[in-house]
Amino acid sequence: MDFTPSSAQQMLVSTAREFLRRHCPPERVQAWALDERGFDEKLWCQMAELGWPGLLVSPELGGSGGSMLDVVLLVEQMGYACLPGPFITSAVVVTSLLAAAANADQPKRLLPALASGELIATLALTEENGSGDPDDVALACRVPGRLTGRKLFVKDAHVADVLAVVVRESESLGLVLMPADRRGISRIQLAAISGEKMFEVVFDDVEVTAADRLGAAGHGGALLTPALEAGALARTAEMVGGAQRILDLAVEHARTRVQGGRPIGGYQAIQHACADLVRDVDTARGLLYLAAWKAAEGLPAASDVAMAKAHAAEACLAVARRGHQIFGAIGYCEEHPLHLIHKRIQGAALDFGDAQHHLETVARSIGLR
Amino acid sequence: MDFAYTADEQAFAAEVRRFLAEHPPDRFAVDGMDAGYGSGSHSRPFLRALADQGWLSMTWPKAYGGQERPMFFKLVLLEELALAGAPFGPLAGCWQTADAIIEYGSERLRGEVLPAIARGEATFWQGYSEPGAGSDLLGLKTEARRDGDDYVIRGHKIWSSHAGISRYGLVFARTSREARRSRGFSMFVVPNGTAGMDIRPIRSLTGDVYHYEVFLDDVRVPGDFRLGPEGEGFVALLNGLDSDRLWGRFYKAPAMERVLHQLVEYANTTIVRGAPLARDPFVRRRLAGAAVDVAALRTLFYRVACLLRDGAPITYETALAKVLADETGQKIAKLGMDLLGLWGPLRAGSPWAKLDGHIAHLYQTSLGHTIAGGTNEVLRTTVAVRGLGLPAEAKIR
Repeated sequence: MDFTPSSAQQMLVSTAREFLRRHCPPERVQAWALDERGFDEKLWCQMAELGWPGLLVSPELGGSGGSMLDVVLLVEQMGYACLPGPFITSAVVVTSLLAAAANADQPKRLLPALASGELIATLALTEENGSGDPDDVALACRVPGRLTGRKLFVKDAHVADVLAVVVRESESLGLVLMPADRRGISRIQLAAISGEKMFEVVFDDVEVTAADRLGAAGHGGALLTPALEAGALARTAEMVGGAQRILDLAVEHARTRVQGGRPIGGYQAIQHACADLVRDVDTARGLLYLAAWKAAEGLPAASDVAMAKAHAAEACLAVARRGHQIFGAIGYCEEHPLHLIHKRIQGAALDFGDAQHHLETVARSIGLR
Repeated sequence: MDFAYTADEQAFAAEVRRFLAEHPPDRFAVDGMDAGYGSGSHSRPFLRALADQGWLSMTWPKAYGGQERPMFFKLVLLEELALAGAPFGPLAGCWQTADAIIEYGSERLRGEVLPAIARGEATFWQGYSEPGAGSDLLGLKTEARRDGDDYVIRGHKIWSSHAGISRYGLVFARTSREARRSRGFSMFVVPNGTAGMDIRPIRSLTGDVYHYEVFLDDVRVPGDFRLGPEGEGFVALLNGLDSDRLWGRFYKAPAMERVLHQLVEYANTTIVRGAPLARDPFVRRRLAGAAVDVAALRTLFYRVACLLRDGAPITYETALAKVLADETGQKIAKLGMDLLGLWGPLRAGSPWAKLDGHIAHLYQTSLGHTIAGGTNEVLRTTVAVRGLGLPAEAKIR
């Protein structure tokens, strides 16, 4: 047993930490959150130069062939910096989807462009029932045929070149990949408190060709499972990174904010609150790494991923909320970074299955009938 | 990163499971109360059976009769024993004392006490707390004064687990008055039955005896029964506490996993208004949440174990793991009581008791866990001060 990341992983983490400290400071995160588009092409290109979007792509297709553990360590740093943008949806989720469809034509065509960052993709899954469970997908589509209907909570659809749309093809789940600007598709931004860019995507008699289908007919569900697992892990890593940032900021504040003649961190009420932050961050990270390691080793990881995400959803949000209490009034200001990290954690907790969804997976895994 | 046991560790786990299949743990006579930590009851016959396998001394140096097996074998053994609900109460204390004797003990202690531990014959009580020295351990009043080659100990110890049925006490006493509050303490191995020692049981709220108080009225011990250099006892104690908290709580996660299995089975088989209790969404969520808590707890303990194994610095990790272990234990005991309803409070032995009355016992004993071995308040302060570097709270005098 060994909790130490490999030297290559340590290098990835320290590079990411330093790069994001320089290029993704809180002022810029704030500006992106307030800006309607909120996407920095230059930063995306720099990240692509570092090879990040290619982490999960095999070397033959232009990536570096990394594991879910590598991804989780990188995304944890992105969460620490509260980096916005389509990395998770494009480089983790849709990339995993394509990588799972090994022998199809689209992966060979799209993965090199996704790895190089030239292409951005997003997943359109959730519908008006608000569920992230593929079983609840109702949007019907014949392939080939025409598609009419809508998807909700589609992340970064405004910068995506490709939409991966989960549809119901007769009885089974299907996946179709189409250019985001295909005739009949419109993208309407949802106003959210977090600064994350989410969209309602409306399909109005959109043409779907046989070549758009990913994998064989009726096999969409099988492709989707590992991709959603990857998305849940990445969003968990983002929460853990964000919670670690809040812990660091809160401890710094507790050391330097003086009231009653001493730093507030000298009062047990604040000390014990900080100890609880450590408990929540450490446990969330422990379960995250365990689940990511299992996924990376190809072991069955579904219940571990569910545990990690269910726990982080509660624990990291508790860190954010307790953080507000430690910071007092200054944490209530728009210019303070705390609320941005808090809202990111809040959003991540709901994406790819909320705590209740994952707890049900756990309930079944422990043998509850 | 690697979260699996090695092939050797897995083979040892299989060996332990075979032993448990051949020696069903519930057939061993029990001689001391189960305090609910997960190590089961105090059973001398079971301890001797473990000793017969060579497992008590398996990690010791060969010079002291050990096999120099890696420390993780002890974790494997604890995990399997706890999952099986075996009565291995005194085991962790034996290991801890043996480690201290190997590190700090005199040749006489090594020669006399280590073989008795290896045979499963020697068990130990800790004489740390006193009526006036609980969380403020350094406020203790027990004194050990030199008299020729011996020490003469005088004082009053309390909350000593299984003191009345153990063979030796580990008594923490003041050996000199020093300017610095933390200096001038020493640790002694004191054989039970030494003249001047009066050990009295304290009945706990479970109705059973776990704790004792010990009156030491000029108890004479040989000088070479001191553990470590005179006056340096507190440093040794503090260093020992980090590993104490690992070895004293590591088995709580597997033990809680065992309890969860029982509660899942209960929920699956108990019909409430025509449907299994397991179908109640709130019950499902709480049991699943408890399983997540146990899994999270386990990762904390394995991290601590890796740090200890690698000799890496530990500041807050063991304190935090103990806080979480005992609060998780309380949460699961409360969950069990909630699921059992009116049957929850029925004692073992009652014909109507569910799950052998185990949950009621767990519920009661868990109340003491967040106090024993450092209260959760003291430990949270440790996390904040030692782990996060927050300033120690000003002493109010």
